[in-house]
Amino acid sequence: MSERAHTVVIVDDSAAVRIFFEKVATAIDVELKTYPSAAAALEYLGTQQPSLLFLDIIMPDKDGLTFLQELRRLPLHQNTTTIVISSKDYAQDRNTARQLGVVEFVAKPMTTRVIEDLIVKYTGARLRSADTRS
Amino acid sequence: MSANYLRFWGVRGSYAAPHKTHLKVGGNTSCVEFRAGNYLLICDGGTGIIPLGDALMSARDMPETLVVFTHYHWDHICGLPFFQPAFSSHWKIKFFGPGETAGEIEQRLSDQMKAPYFPVEIGTWAADIEYQAPVASGLQHGPFTLNYHSVHHPGVTYGYRIQLGEKSIVYMSDNEIDFLKSSIARRADEFTPEEQRLNKTMQNEERAAELGAVRNADILIHDAQYTPGDYARKRGWGHSCYVDTVNFAIDAQVKVLYLFHHDPNYDDERVEAIQRDCEQVIRERQSNLTCIVAREGTVVPL
Repeated sequence: MSERAHTVVIVDDSAAVRIFFEKVATAIDVELKTYPSAAAALEYLGTQQPSLLFLDIIMPDKDGLTFLQELRRLPLHQNTTTIVISSKDYAQDRNTARQLGVVEFVAKPMTTRVIEDLIVKYTGARLRSADTRS
Repeated sequence: MSANYLRFWGVRGSYAAPHKTHLKVGGNTSCVEFRAGNYLLICDGGTGIIPLGDALMSARDMPETLVVFTHYHWDHICGLPFFQPAFSSHWKIKFFGPGETAGEIEQRLSDQMKAPYFPVEIGTWAADIEYQAPVASGLQHGPFTLNYHSVHHPGVTYGYRIQLGEKSIVYMSDNEIDFLKSSIARRADEFTPEEQRLNKTMQNEERAAELGAVRNADILIHDAQYTPGDYARKRGWGHSCYVDTVNFAIDAQVKVLYLFHHDPNYDDERVEAIQRDCEQVIRERQSNLTCIVAREGTVVPL
């Protein structure tokens, strides 16, 4: 198996969202890592910078924007490309995300196509085959 | 008065409404006092904390005091600069709210007490002040154990589950119930059948998590700000329609629901009508839930 150049991390306590991303990732040449909480994601993010990081906001252990604030203090993640996905769709959260350098804010629910396009846009990864698109 | 009780000092949302048409319910913004012996827990520092502070200064005892904030919107902090015990050297007060560190909590609270917005800064507080850093689980204050979780409201906002002996009380002053559910319904046409199935699962997961935070509570104090008509216009403002609130309480098998964070535009008559509507929902669902309007001055033994 060849090592993929692009790693995408999704941190979301929703199992359905993690399954959604696993389905999306089958169509794109990326390595996907999924985590149900900020604490679990730190196992990877503590030492590695992904090509693209997706973060939920409301999670049981720590909300995603607070987690991102912590990550931004680490030299490793000062510029990590980050997209927020959340059922919260409020101006205050969008503004906070923007101040933390988030490149996109996607309100749940999201379509496969939207997430595919964002992964391609921000990682440069290729779709495996045009006919995999739904 | 019972040694253990809660008392509503401010029940209004958004901004104070000191109109004579509103005073049976009350015009002050969010503040609830919980008392267990010599321990005092205060949830939020809206304008209701001002008369609470005045009452505390008149009393003989000086309880160990913890003030927790759900978030830092004005209606939850604007009474704090007028909270007399903070200016008294005899008092010891601890503050807690959203924030990564004790210093961040201090900054959030002190920002409103700065020129040109306020004449004196928190440096003028004479009380022994401490800011509580976040804890992994179970914030302890005497006989009170508090657990907090993020809720659906703009910015980081907490709901608190407070355990006092056998009693479990949940305080969720600002929370927009079922926002994801309605987002999914409004955009249903955009999704494939497979995506719709995942959306439904996602919706159920979020509902289960929200219910889990309040399940079997003896008392739930919850945002019930809008009528269905107003909610249709103000969806996305971070507050609940009372119909969703009462259904949420029934689903969570709560014993007593206090409707809270009343809209400042609603007079006493309108809030009474909301309560009657909630009773109707409870009857239709054949629930045992007791639903009460949170009113300023109401004391509930714990």
